[in-house]
Amino acid sequence: MNAPTGSAMARGSRDVLADPAASLAEIMSALSAVEADALPAAAHIGISAGATIDLLGLYLRRHALLAGVKLQVSQGNYDDPLGDLARFAEAGVDHLLLAPFLDSFEPAFEARAAILTDAELDAREADLRGRWRLVLQGAAAFRTVILCGLHRITAPVAGGDPLDAMLSRLNQALREEAAAFANVRFFDMAGLVANLGRRDAFDLRFYLRNAAPYSPALLDAWARQVLAVSRAYGARFHKALVLDCDNTLWGGILGEDLASGVKLSAQSYPGAVFHRAQTEFLALQRQGVLLCLCSKNDPGEVDAMLAQHPDMVLRQADIIAKEVNWSDKVVNLRKIAGTLNIGLDSLVFLDDSAFECAAVRSQLPEVTVFQVPASPPDYLGVIAAIKDLFLAGGATTDGGAKTEQYRQRAQALAAQQAFATHEDYLASLDLTVTLARDDRTRTARIAELSQKSNQFNLTTVRYSAREIDRLTADPSVAVWSLDVADRFGAAGLTGVVVVRCDGDMATIESLFMSCRVLGRGIEFAIWPSIFADAAARGCRRVQASFRPTAKNAQAADFYDRLGLPLTAEAEGMRSYEIALAALSPPPSPWIKVLHD
Amino acid sequence: MIDEAALKQVIASVLGLSAEAIGPDASSDTIPSWDSLKHMNLVLALEQAFGVVIPDEDAAEITSFALIKVVLQDLVAV
Repeated sequence: MNAPTGSAMARGSRDVLADPAASLAEIMSALSAVEADALPAAAHIGISAGATIDLLGLYLRRHALLAGVKLQVSQGNYDDPLGDLARFAEAGVDHLLLAPFLDSFEPAFEARAAILTDAELDAREADLRGRWRLVLQGAAAFRTVILCGLHRITAPVAGGDPLDAMLSRLNQALREEAAAFANVRFFDMAGLVANLGRRDAFDLRFYLRNAAPYSPALLDAWARQVLAVSRAYGARFHKALVLDCDNTLWGGILGEDLASGVKLSAQSYPGAVFHRAQTEFLALQRQGVLLCLCSKNDPGEVDAMLAQHPDMVLRQADIIAKEVNWSDKVVNLRKIAGTLNIGLDSLVFLDDSAFECAAVRSQLPEVTVFQVPASPPDYLGVIAAIKDLFLAGGATTDGGAKTEQYRQRAQALAAQQAFATHEDYLASLDLTVTLARDDRTRTARIAELSQKSNQFNLTTVRYSAREIDRLTADPSVAVWSLDVADRFGAAGLTGVVVVRCDGDMATIESLFMSCRVLGRGIEFAIWPSIFADAAARGCRRVQASFRPTAKNAQAADFYDRLGLPLTAEAEGMRSYEIALAALSPPPSPWIKVLHD
Repeated sequence: MIDEAALKQVIASVLGLSAEAIGPDASSDTIPSWDSLKHMNLVLALEQAFGVVIPDEDAAEITSFALIKVVLQDLVAV
């Protein structure tokens, strides 16, 4: 192993970054090479820690680049989170990693666990809560804040160790403090250490000399998890898992082995692996992930499996979209994205065939692809990685009901055929939209929707929860939220309008809606109420604009359709203005507008 | 024998320099970016690149190209 960097050159810098066995020096040179070619930094993370973890920055940049994000890293001062916050805000940091460290409380604090009295421990917990509550309050402007839990370095004494009891209590306190803030995630550091193994996680030489306890392997694993928790620093929001069937949902080939011959029994091998895989997928579905099938198979046979096979865990009702046919999977994945009205980059595709995986990777690079490994026991590791992708960033607020909502949309599409006119159909839906103005209880969902809405988003302003709170409190700004329901069910909070009143001018600063509820006239029905409110505040005119992005072309002419005259257009940016009295939006009598 | 070119490349990568900047007399006294933090990274990088474990008593002391070469030579020869 005498020419490490020479071999790195030969392999290409990107391959080095992706190679789990790449050495530190190789990663360092590869990073500089790849970052030099990449665009300006797309995200900026600040690290505030109670231990020396400078090397973590290197691994954070590595995993970010592998996910297509060029990451800038700012290091804070030793154990000074409040000071770091101010510095980071000034430097333009948008993501924050907070890593308190047990021994920074006082030297050899781990060993004090057995010495502390109950009263002293109570005081410690109160101190910890108070300090971090202050930090988290100050961190409200950051997009994601990851608060790492505490962990031990020394091995526990078998049969119960007072340090473990203290740790679980302090971590519970941190968890509770984190839960009070919409932008904060608690990160299970002890779990990460356990996953890697205590022996491999720490390097005590540098811990005792430099307060740098972590091994490169731990820092690497940590960085990979931070990427997942931050949803690739906001670049990705995975929504749907698209599954192949043969050798993915069950062992064997349905067309050859027949329903009676596929391997799926929980009491057999490898059937048990596939039974477990299906159970994991069902759990993902229950936590808000949309499950789809994309399989080259006879559709009737697959439907029969879903309907009747005694060992199937997944059933028809758990699957939101199916493309079971003999067409190209690339075509089918496009169809699935179209049916669900989500972007291809929201899809995760799982297939056992190296050929299909390669075809999707090359033709649809936006789709995240996993291959089912040839050896069944390795499958569980792949599933764990998929779970990380969907769940590490936290389940969405109303995620559990989402498949049901999409299904209602699909059923509604089917029902559409039976009516004479589109309006007759819409009238049959009993559509209601409930408008709420400046409602603080909806802040978290409003901010979340602003982060996720791409296609029907007129100005694509991404708001943090704190910004929404600030706008809500601002008397010159109205933050409107739209809750949509029809006779099939409630779609929840699926639209937002932000209107600023300045003198006699009302400006629509933001308008975004979930694509689930478009096409029913709701985007037109809301305006009489909103404009009446603006008029009551003294506004006589309204102005609005469309700002183009890579994804919002479908909304480009929305204000034209609403009846606003175009006043200026430059580089795709379109501006509109009209007197409120002169404006009459297209009527949508089939929608009942309610006020909350 | 330790491959000097490879050794220089590792030191250069960690210190953010080009390999040519690492002369035979390179040390933490002659290279400003060679601070205690970088030195720690350097020890970890050397261990990975050459497949050795540098003993604690040497880790903090090998703050020059010449000393690193001597210590690695010993470790690789064992």
